[in-house]
Order: sequence, then structure tokens, then C-alpha cells
Amino acid sequence: MLNRRRFGQLTGLAAGSAILSRPIRAATSPDVTLEIASYTLEASPRHAFRTVAYNGQVPGPLLRMRQGLEQRIEIRNSSKDPEVVHWHGLFLPSEVDGAMEEGTPMIAPGSQVQMNFKPDPPGFRWFHTHTFAGKDLTKAQYSGLHGFLLVEPRDHPGNYDREVFLALHDWGGRFEGGGDGSMNPVYDVSTINGKMLGFGEPVRVKHGEHVMMHLLNSSPTEVHWVALAGHSFKVIALDGNAVARSQTVSMLRLAPAERISAMVEMNNPGAWILGEVRKHIQSAGLGIVIEYAGAIGKPAWAQPGSLEWSYRRFAAEEQASQAGEEQTRINLVFDSKFEGHGSEEHWRINGKSYPDTDEPKLIEGRRYRLVMKNLSMDDHPLHLHRHTFEIRQVDGSPEMSGPRKDVVLVAAKTAAEVEFVADNPGKTLFHCHQQDHMDRGFMMVFRYA
Amino acid sequence: MHSILRGDRFLSRSLLLCVVCVLLIARNAPAQGNYEIQVYGADTVPPKNLMVELHSNYTVTGQPKVIDGVYPTNHQEHETLELTQGINGWAEVGFYVFTSEQDGHGVQWVGDHIRPRVRAPDRWHLPVGLSLSTEIGYQRAAYSTDTWTWEIRPIIDKTTGRWYFAFNPALERTLHGPDVKQGLGFSPGVKVSYDFTSVISGGFEYYADYGRLGAFDDLHQQQQQIFAVTDLNVSPKWEINFGVGVGPTAATDHLIVKGILGRRFDWGKKSAVE
Repeated sequence: MLNRRRFGQLTGLAAGSAILSRPIRAATSPDVTLEIASYTLEASPRHAFRTVAYNGQVPGPLLRMRQGLEQRIEIRNSSKDPEVVHWHGLFLPSEVDGAMEEGTPMIAPGSQVQMNFKPDPPGFRWFHTHTFAGKDLTKAQYSGLHGFLLVEPRDHPGNYDREVFLALHDWGGRFEGGGDGSMNPVYDVSTINGKMLGFGEPVRVKHGEHVMMHLLNSSPTEVHWVALAGHSFKVIALDGNAVARSQTVSMLRLAPAERISAMVEMNNPGAWILGEVRKHIQSAGLGIVIEYAGAIGKPAWAQPGSLEWSYRRFAAEEQASQAGEEQTRINLVFDSKFEGHGSEEHWRINGKSYPDTDEPKLIEGRRYRLVMKNLSMDDHPLHLHRHTFEIRQVDGSPEMSGPRKDVVLVAAKTAAEVEFVADNPGKTLFHCHQQDHMDRGFMMVFRYA
Repeated sequence: MHSILRGDRFLSRSLLLCVVCVLLIARNAPAQGNYEIQVYGADTVPPKNLMVELHSNYTVTGQPKVIDGVYPTNHQEHETLELTQGINGWAEVGFYVFTSEQDGHGVQWVGDHIRPRVRAPDRWHLPVGLSLSTEIGYQRAAYSTDTWTWEIRPIIDKTTGRWYFAFNPALERTLHGPDVKQGLGFSPGVKVSYDFTSVISGGFEYYADYGRLGAFDDLHQQQQQIFAVTDLNVSPKWEINFGVGVGPTAATDHLIVKGILGRRFDWGKKSAVE
């Protein structure tokens, strides 16, 4: 299907390969090389998926960068489709942030580009494709094109014995009509780090260790709840940003594109399952075994009875107030336009679908409040590129000095408000991170005056 | 999501076996009357769900005479209770209670049918919905000369954009009655509808009984009905269908009004973590 977004991707191709590659090609060898190529993921011996991946692995390679230290990146596109790599959570110029809508050129099949940037801010970030999938639920974020990026601060952050990186993903998607007349992807298989529960290597730990778990929900569309039987999580950071109030919780909720960094104290020897709280999704494979040294026997699971999560738990303890803070409000109303029981609906922001959505003008240095009202029956993980925002209200909560994030889940039929400072000039994409929603118009671009 | 992790091969063989059996024991039966006027979609009721439907059909202009001891259809009011229980992600069983109300006869029990149905699981990723229904049952001789009948109904459907298409090439056979030696009868049903809004759909349904497979009746003797219908998609729990149908051939009731009111009951123990 050639829609306006797809057309824009194609027309940006030639320029992309030339503009980015020419001035840098003669430079020294890159710090990071990513090759985008076909790959067969074996989630289990009975579940194989032909997909596309970075450097022949799912998730892609773990990238560690030092805050502010310039990185030379080389990306080779050996796939058959135009590609672009989005550096999710970094404050980068629009030309390298990795979204065609911001002006980042696409990488043509068979070509390569090089780019330089200084990673900032520090924390748990990630990189992923930012292309169009449409009805092909093997492309774009449905594929294996995602990987972890840890930007290490200038000062070492924490006291832990080891780090574990876990990516939650869903595979084998197809559209299915819902009872409310909408079409949504449903999946055959769910994985952690590309493997179904019981088919990957366990995470091996030792009694008494403090393990920093970095969890990423790279799913194209699905929210996931995870728990670790016999243990709890001390949440340190959300979307890579330290929380004002660290809390110990029994389970984590991650909307698409969200990350959580949580410390787990290994104080309960045995073999345990870290997995989806909802039974049918864990049955579809979303889980991994956490195994203490010397543990024997079958991994254990303790089924929670309910789903529990709130952003508010991680807000600063003092009551926040709007008084004295000058900010410009931008009202955003989300809804959808019915296109038939056999079609995906078109998503709209203030009554318009991308590329016809409004382009609010930002003035550098000014503080903005996004006042979001979700009129639809779906939850939406909203992502703001190239900036970090602070959650001020969710789901009718009182005003708070909430966690700083780059994705916020706005539940169906609720409102949410976030604030950010316009401190990174350039086109800035704002969109629902659910792949089928952004493909169907749920995007807008902020421009700096 | 309706999908199974096992048993696909068993299911596909079962479907094939059913079709082969039908063709081997073929013969004919009349249509099972205007008690349940519905073109089936391929979806099945989910497990731990019960669908309760009331089919209400009134023959405004029908057969006015008693023929072979069968009551006239003219001005008959049919009320049919249909209970459909989901078995798993790809099977259900339906049960019918047919009744008739008419001046001079009062409210009468007409008969009962049972209808198991299986469908191709979502895991097969077919481009169309596909299922196979079989129905067997009894109806009193005062309402049908053929008292025991059997039907097998392949179901193919497709939703694309605002359009919905369904085709039911049903085959019917009499097990007890005058037509027991006539082999398989062909009784197709077709539905085409369009979503005007997310709630209101409208379209046409076509029902026919062409007679014996391989030796169709003359057009005059065939049953042919076409209904203008509307479906109201007010809630996933409710099914509302209303239609007015005309039958242009001599063998068909000429004007019928029909309605279906259905309510889905989910009695499975459900929590957020299920």
C-alpha cells in the first residue's frame, strides 16, 4: 500500500543515503555497526518466524555508550525494504533521531550510512525501526528490529552485582475484529529476548546478589504485566529516568516502548519464572527462568490474583501545584473514525489523521503541558521524540510531580497531562507507539518557531 | 482470540471426513421451514459462553391451504429459541426449540434440532472464515411431512472494509418422511451487507431450495426468498437482526417478516489475570 507516509519514506531514500553517508564515509572505523538483514527467529523448536533483525540476533546487540562521548555509528541495510533506526529516548537532532516524519532520511536497501552523535541523557534507552507496516504484521515494529541501549552516566549509578536486559515481544500477529467494531492485532507467540518460556537459556543468579533488571516492552502493540515468582522489584527508573520515589512492587506494567529498571534482591534460592501475569499470555511463551546457582527442580510460578500498577506511586511525595509555573497548554483529543468491521479505524488527534494533523509551534525554552483526552475504547502509549516529559496527571489523579518519561499510557476513556520544556529545537514527532495506530494516522509533528 | 495450540491436524481430518460422508450418503429433503431464517457466519461462540437467540418470523402472505395434512403457513407466527454453547475455540453446539402460533391452532410445539459446528481455527490464517455445521432434528408431521431431517452446511464468510459476505451452500436430507429416497437437496443461503456506521449495517439475504442435487426442480417449484435486512451492532453481547422478505416463486411464502434477538452470556470465571 502506498499511502502518504510510505510515499514520503521512498522519496527520502536517495537523499538519505547520500546526505548522511558522504561527509562521514572517509572517517575512522565506527564504534557501533548495525546490519539490518533477514533472520529466522526460533522462539522454540516448533515456532520459527522469518523476520528482520540487527546483526543477526533478536534483540539486537546491547549497546553501551558513555554519556556525552561521541559515537560513530554505521548502519548497513541489507534488507529489501527502506529502513531507519530510531534512537528512542535520546536528545538528538531531528536528522539523526530516526523518524522520517522529522526529516531523518531513510536508508535504501543495499546502502549504508554513518552518523555521529553524543548520547544524552544517561539511562536505559533503546533503538528500533521506525517504518510503516500497514497490513503486513511481520514488518516494522512487528519484526525483530529492536535492541537495548544503555547510556552510562559520567558517574556510576548504582550498587548492583549484575545487570540483566529483558525484551518482551509478540510474534505471529494477525488482525482480528473486536466486539466493539475495531480491528486489532492478536498474536500466536510471546517471548522474552526472542525465546518462549522454557526454550531460552535461564538467567543464572547467585544467592545474595542484587540484580539490576532492565526490562523493555518492544511489542508492536501489547501492554505486558510481568512478575518474578518469589521476589519483588524495587523500581529505580522509568524509561531510563530515575524515579523521585523508589518503590518495591510485586509486578511491573510495561506499555509498548516503555522501559523499567528495577533492582531484585536474590534472597529466595530456587528456580523461578519471571513471566506475564496474565495466564494466557504466559502460556503463549512470555516468560524466562531465573535460576539460582545449584538450584534443581522445575521452575516455580506464583499466580498473582490481580493486575496492579500506577505511575503515581513513583511521583514525588510532596503535593505538586500548578501555581507559579507558567506553561502553555496544548489540548489533544484522541479518537478514531470507523472504517468498517473489516478495516482498521483511522486514528485522529483533534479530529485529524497524520499527515493532516496540526503542527503546534514550540518556542525554545518555554514549558508546555500536553492535555490529552482519550475518547476511544483503546489504551494508547503516547511517545514524544527527542524530549523527556513529566507526568502531571493520569486517569483523574490529583496534580503530581510524576516520573519523567518519554512514553505514557493513556487509558481508554481517560485523560492525562504531561509537561515538557521545549529545549531541543527541530521537528519533534509525537505519536501512539502502537504500530497499527501510528500506521493509521495517530501521529503529529511539533515544530519549533 | 480463538485459536488452538493442538489438534489442528485432527480438526482438518474431521472436517474432510464429514464432507466425504455427506457426499456418500446423499439424498434430498425439503427446506426446514421458516423457523430460523439466518445466513450463518463462520465464527463460533467462544468457550464458556452461551448464546441465547429468539427467532421471530411471521408469514404475512403464505400457503393458505392444508396440503398433505400440513397446516397452512399463511399468518403463522414462528418463535424459535436457539441456545448455542461454545465448546472450545473452534467448536460449538446449538439446540433449537421450534414453536408455531396460528389462529385455530394456538401455540404449538413444532420440533427440536441439534446443531454441532466446527470452524477453521485462526491459527490456519485462512483468507476467509470457514466452518462446517451439521443439524439433525424432528418436526411434527402437522408442520412438515418429513419429520426427521438432516442438514450439512459449509459456511464461508469474509469481512472486507465495510462489506460483509457470507455463503452457506447447505445440503439437506430427509431421514424419515415421503422424501426419504430423494437424495440430497441443495439449499444455498447468501448474505451481503454494508456497514453504514459502526452500529448499523444493512444488506440482503438470499435463501433458496433448488431441490434435488443433480436434478433441480423447475424454477416455479423452487423456493426462492430474498430479504432486505439490517443488523444493529449495539454491543458485543447483543445480536439484533430484522428483515422483510419476499418469495416470488409459487413454492415460496410470498411475504415474511423476521427478527432475531440474541444475547451472549459469559459464565466463565474471569479475572484480569485469566
